Amino acid sequence: MNAIWTIFKKEWDRVIKDKRLVLSVMLLPGLMIFLIYSIMGNVISDFTAQEPGQVAIVNPSAGFTALYSTPVWGEDENGDPVIVFEEKADVIAISVAEAQTYRDRIDAGDWDLLIVFPENLEADLAPGYQANIEVYHNQNETQSATVQSRFSGYLTVYAELLRQTVYGETDVLMLQTDSVEYDDEKAMGMMMSTLLPMLVVMFLFSGAMSIGPESIAGEKERGTMATLLIMPVKRSEIALGKVLSLSVLALISALSSFLGIISSLPKMMGMEVSQVLAIYDFADLALMLVLLFSTVFVIVGLVAVVSAFSKSLKEAGTLIMPLYLITIVIGITSMFSEGAVSGWWFYLLPMYNTVQSLTAILLSDSLAPWYVLITVAANLAVTAGLVYLLTRMFHSEKIMFAK
Amino acid sequence: MEAKIVVTDLTKTFRLSKKQQRIERTTESVKVAVDHLSFEAYQGEIFGLLGPNGAGKTTTLRCISTLIKADSGDIYVDGHGVRNEETEIRKRIGFLTSDLKLEEFFTPNYLFDYFARLHSVDPETAAARKADLFGKFGIDRFAEVKVGELSTGMRQKVQIALALIHDPGVIVFDEPTNGLDILTAKVVTDYLRELRDAGKAIIISTHIFSLVEKICDRVGIIVNGKLKWCKPLADVKASGTDLEQLFFDLVAEESREDSR
Repeated sequence: MNAIWTIFKKEWDRVIKDKRLVLSVMLLPGLMIFLIYSIMGNVISDFTAQEPGQVAIVNPSAGFTALYSTPVWGEDENGDPVIVFEEKADVIAISVAEAQTYRDRIDAGDWDLLIVFPENLEADLAPGYQANIEVYHNQNETQSATVQSRFSGYLTVYAELLRQTVYGETDVLMLQTDSVEYDDEKAMGMMMSTLLPMLVVMFLFSGAMSIGPESIAGEKERGTMATLLIMPVKRSEIALGKVLSLSVLALISALSSFLGIISSLPKMMGMEVSQVLAIYDFADLALMLVLLFSTVFVIVGLVAVVSAFSKSLKEAGTLIMPLYLITIVIGITSMFSEGAVSGWWFYLLPMYNTVQSLTAILLSDSLAPWYVLITVAANLAVTAGLVYLLTRMFHSEKIMFAK
Repeated sequence: MEAKIVVTDLTKTFRLSKKQQRIERTTESVKVAVDHLSFEAYQGEIFGLLGPNGAGKTTTLRCISTLIKADSGDIYVDGHGVRNEETEIRKRIGFLTSDLKLEEFFTPNYLFDYFARLHSVDPETAAARKADLFGKFGIDRFAEVKVGELSTGMRQKVQIALALIHDPGVIVFDEPTNGLDILTAKVVTDYLRELRDAGKAIIISTHIFSLVEKICDRVGIIVNGKLKWCKPLADVKASGTDLEQLFFDLVAEESREDSR
């Protein structure tokens, strides 16, 4: 036990006392992700904010126009101050006869949106009255889709306003576009569950990759491993000490990356950090942490075994790369699946089980704790196997002293 | 005198890769590095293994210090066998070879404490030994300088100090003065004598005749993995020749036997 702790402490000091390693293992991953994602977020929002969008409206009503316009102080013809509405989009009013022309322009991609209100909508409004509103846009044009989604929002609010006018009439406005009930939590969960598992396994792996080979293949190459091997400690203690310390360091590295993502979300997705965190309660976060810890053991175990097998740091890097790529491919599987897989045996497969369990937690799947339990048990068993293998390798002079 | 190291019929072979076969200019896929070697080293003596490069000296020392395993034969260190009691041997042996390196990032001070903990030396004893060894080798002034920034000589001194952290009864030094300037070499040889006088059993390997003549009590001449001669140094002089001549005669004899 004492030897494990001594080796753990030395590996920890090797990183913590080296400013360059602290920078590259703990600070840079998070900082780089924050910068890259923030820049990406800015570029995306700049792109969408470039043009306000061109909208043509047949029979625009004052109540609707007010919704997408900003009230500012202006002057009336007598020079008296008055509230006027400044339009945020390039909106023009057209006649019913012109509508077809604009439909054609939208098809051709040189106009964004057409909204057709019935004549005298607000004047005719009475209980029992139903109005059809046509919303036409081009799904293949990003700008058109963006403008459409913004104006759909205005229309929803407008419908609400009209409802109030007719005292509780619920079907006063019929929109001719398909609208899906918008669920903030579900949408966020879906988005996080497709993106996050891949990012998490990638970060865990790259964290382990940045220190694992150095700690084993590097020590072998430089001859410092031999110094450790003639110490009166068990080879299994050396293996455990190294795997534990590398796991903690890799986890810190992954957390740094994770913080980078979380703090860049406001700029990337237009979401607040508190919004993201509010979806998940303490139990979810605890499950995630247990899951990540067990996964990092497997990854570090793999990296350690490959490093011990390699004759040099360079060879270790080359041999680990395919494993890293496989991990990314496994991570990507979460993007194409609807929720977590349900067969328990899938959770016995290292890496795949992490991705699926994480998906289950993020989607608030009620079976998530069970999936995590199986995953952690499987991961610990695999780690024990890898530590045993590493110990055997430390015993093998052919592997440890190969020239 | 008590035999602290007993080597009986030690044999060690290495498998040669195609590349190594080309370098060694041989078609044999197995190289016999140590060939049925037997000798003993006693308490309170310095035993020298003398031989040309590639004779099997370092391999023998690495087998004794449990870094590698023998194919056949037995080695006992202070009554403990290499086959089942590796940890017991490692507790009793101080091993120094150019194959064992120190992590350049750390300071002598840090490494001393680290290896003391691995050897389960209690902190008070470790502190006293550190003061003693660092003082003796003049490491104290460099105690907080990273190993990577030390001169070769100082690095070697730090390695000696670290090899003796646990006050081992048996000391195995591979080429103890290699790469050292004459002043540092003298410090090392004087210290080896001091350790012998303190009752330690010491084995050194070297290809330098003068070093053997200066500090060894007995010498084993090893050529081509075989022990060709193993007697007290005084016997060399009594046989009417000198160590150098004896050595070349034995090399020539082995070469004749080998070509037969």
